[in-house]
Amino acid sequence: MGFHFHVFQTTLAMKKYFRFLGLLCASLGIFTLAHAQTPLDGLMMPKGEICIALQYEQGTWDRYWEGSTIRVNQNIGTFTKQMGMPMLVGGITDKINVILSLPYVKTAATGGQLTGVQGIQDLGLSVKAVLLEKSIGKGKLTGFSNLSFSTPASNYLADYMPFSLGFGANELGIRAIVKYELDMGPYFRASYAYLNRGTAQAERDYYYSNGSFYTATMDVPDAFQGQLTLGSWLFNHKLRVEASLTTIRSASGDDIRTYCMPLPTNKVDFDRVEGFAQYYFKTNGGFGLIATYQQVISGRNMGQFSGYGLGITYQFKAL
Amino acid sequence: MKKYNYSILLFVIFAFLGSSCVEDLPTKYDFTGYQFSNLDANAGQWKLVLHTSNEQIPLSTPAASGSAELLKELADAKEKQSKASSAQREAVKYWTNNPLVRWNEIALELATKYNLIPAPNPDGSYPVPDPANPSKYPKFPYSHPPYTSRMLAHLSVAQYDGLIMAWHYKYKFKRQAPYQLDPQIKSAYETNGLFSYPSDGAVIATASRDVLTAMFPLEKEFLARKAQEHLESLIVAGINVSSDVEAGKLIGAEVAKTVLTRASTDGMKNAQTTRVKSDSIKNAAKERFGWVWENQETPQRMIGLVPLFGKVRLWNVPNVEAVRPGPPPAPGSPEFEKSAKELKQYAANLTTNQRKIANFWNDGLNTYTPPGHWNRFAKEEVVGKKLSPVRTARVFAYLNMAIADAGIACWDAKYYYHYPRPIQTMPGFKTILGTPNFPAYTSGHAAFSGAAAEVMAHFFPSNASQFRTWAEEAAMSRIYGGIHYQFDADAGLDQGRKSAAYSVARAKQDGVD
Repeated sequence: MGFHFHVFQTTLAMKKYFRFLGLLCASLGIFTLAHAQTPLDGLMMPKGEICIALQYEQGTWDRYWEGSTIRVNQNIGTFTKQMGMPMLVGGITDKINVILSLPYVKTAATGGQLTGVQGIQDLGLSVKAVLLEKSIGKGKLTGFSNLSFSTPASNYLADYMPFSLGFGANELGIRAIVKYELDMGPYFRASYAYLNRGTAQAERDYYYSNGSFYTATMDVPDAFQGQLTLGSWLFNHKLRVEASLTTIRSASGDDIRTYCMPLPTNKVDFDRVEGFAQYYFKTNGGFGLIATYQQVISGRNMGQFSGYGLGITYQFKAL
Repeated sequence: MKKYNYSILLFVIFAFLGSSCVEDLPTKYDFTGYQFSNLDANAGQWKLVLHTSNEQIPLSTPAASGSAELLKELADAKEKQSKASSAQREAVKYWTNNPLVRWNEIALELATKYNLIPAPNPDGSYPVPDPANPSKYPKFPYSHPPYTSRMLAHLSVAQYDGLIMAWHYKYKFKRQAPYQLDPQIKSAYETNGLFSYPSDGAVIATASRDVLTAMFPLEKEFLARKAQEHLESLIVAGINVSSDVEAGKLIGAEVAKTVLTRASTDGMKNAQTTRVKSDSIKNAAKERFGWVWENQETPQRMIGLVPLFGKVRLWNVPNVEAVRPGPPPAPGSPEFEKSAKELKQYAANLTTNQRKIANFWNDGLNTYTPPGHWNRFAKEEVVGKKLSPVRTARVFAYLNMAIADAGIACWDAKYYYHYPRPIQTMPGFKTILGTPNFPAYTSGHAAFSGAAAEVMAHFFPSNASQFRTWAEEAAMSRIYGGIHYQFDADAGLDQGRKSAAYSVARAKQDGVD
């Protein structure tokens, strides 16, 4: 009997929850500055609602890991990557959302003579679905799955690292997300993803990756991404704050060779701490603001980025 | 239930797309041997490069057909062939019946592996590789374009002189190949009736191993393993018996010695100068011309790359002055300004095709360099035309002598004129290619490529226009990349062509191309 009661309660609570969530623009957390957006938060947009977001992010580093050795290179000086990203999230049903994103990226360095680049990076398309909902104790457990796909949306050259806009390959990601949220507001979330990457095309047909490769095709390593998040709703669900630890591990790849430029074939690993806040001016849709902070704390073949982001969101009922 | 259907669909899509991404990328030139278009029976009479006589390395008369000694060797070969492991059979396929191609590939891979510029010390100075202590950072060698050009020339000349001698003895002794002497022995390659004593493969394996070991001392064990695998494959392939291989090893080892003696006294060991010498070269240019090139990196490299490479011994060009161009236009002169303006225009409006050309020919750090790039073209051409091993060696020897000569001549001009790079004369100028650590005039890419194209045009006249177009493209690539002026490229091409003319003239003396 108790079980049935709980199910009944869950259903009621769920309806209420979704109506309430309908007032909120489900945001998508922090972009990885190296890659296109990967939607991994634990919120859903209700059916017929659309959120438009415009986010700006900037990350800088003045040290990078060559393999696992940190290096300062004054011929790069301080490296900056800026990203402006329009994004659209839509509720197909209450349990299935689609997310589209198209970042514009700009890179530059203060040292040396190599020129920075700018342009449209990768088109991201993602579908997120609720697979499980269950009340447990004074909170609720939710399970999501997410399938994401991104593809280069311009003819940018991946083999121009660290300046290149992205890694130049298609990426197909599958992700599991679980969240446990107390009715009072605090929540815990964990996600794990496998990111399958394709190949990038260089503009030369020979390169060295622990040996000779007689082709312009570069294999971009697949990666595993994990994230742990502690967050809470505050001020009557007008403000959401989160702290996360994100970790990326490439499944294969080579190291940057001594004092050489990175390659898309590199094994890129990193751990990053992140802070995130989202504020909604009204509880019935309309505008919201996002602020993010991130700091890479360890890495391999990767710049030691620190950065921030700002975003504005607007949500409305389309249907 | 519906939600599960969605997720199953997603998984299926994922599995499909995931599996379709898997592919094997080529790590070597894909060929397994071929029927030679010509056995070049008279190659034993071709002009040797460093040796004076095709019998300078004496070989004893091989055991006669039907002799107990040879029958025993044939029985041994038969057993090795029948008991070959799958790894040994793979090795037979890998090495092919024109194994110089593989050794050239190994040389290019090592050139790439060691083409790493020294990183600065914490105090802002730069360390230099020490041939006496090769494993200490920075490892010896730093296989930059001059080093690679010189390495390839010595390798190719050893291979060529060795094969001329091998061909001489093959047609002198006329020993038939094991697959002809014993019908139970099968040739792994297309049969061609080439005489087997001495083994041309063993000459190549031994000479290549020894020259490359001297050029890349830290690779000694790797090269010994490769040579061992190659030598074993010759018998497993059914084309040689052990006395063929031993005779080939003898020639290979001796030609390598001759070549390495030359290398040890060619002046390369003095090419990377002291600071004092470097400054005096710089000051001489300043007094002579009023300008001077300075490295623009941070921290600044106080000594350019091999300032005295221009003094290294030439192969076929009589002296560097014979091909030294006139001076470049002075910075600030109208001709200079025209070129500088052009560079800014390219930087501001670079087309995708121009960017591709710049990157295709970049051949910078961590690559096989422009000399390597042309060796790769030569390899593809040689296999495409089904050249015999000795004709293959001829192409590579003349190609690499011409490339090395062009490099030496180019380096002479670079440090004689000591001309500044665009990033120095145009403060704030940004480029898509890294600017190398040596003066601008003349362009190394242009000189190497101009020389290489002329040799290739001589050996493969039907594709002459293609090679010359590539050379021009290689020269232009540095202008698109923002690191050379047009006049660097023009003078470099011209200098390369003139340098190569001496090698081509020498090749023509044989009257066989």
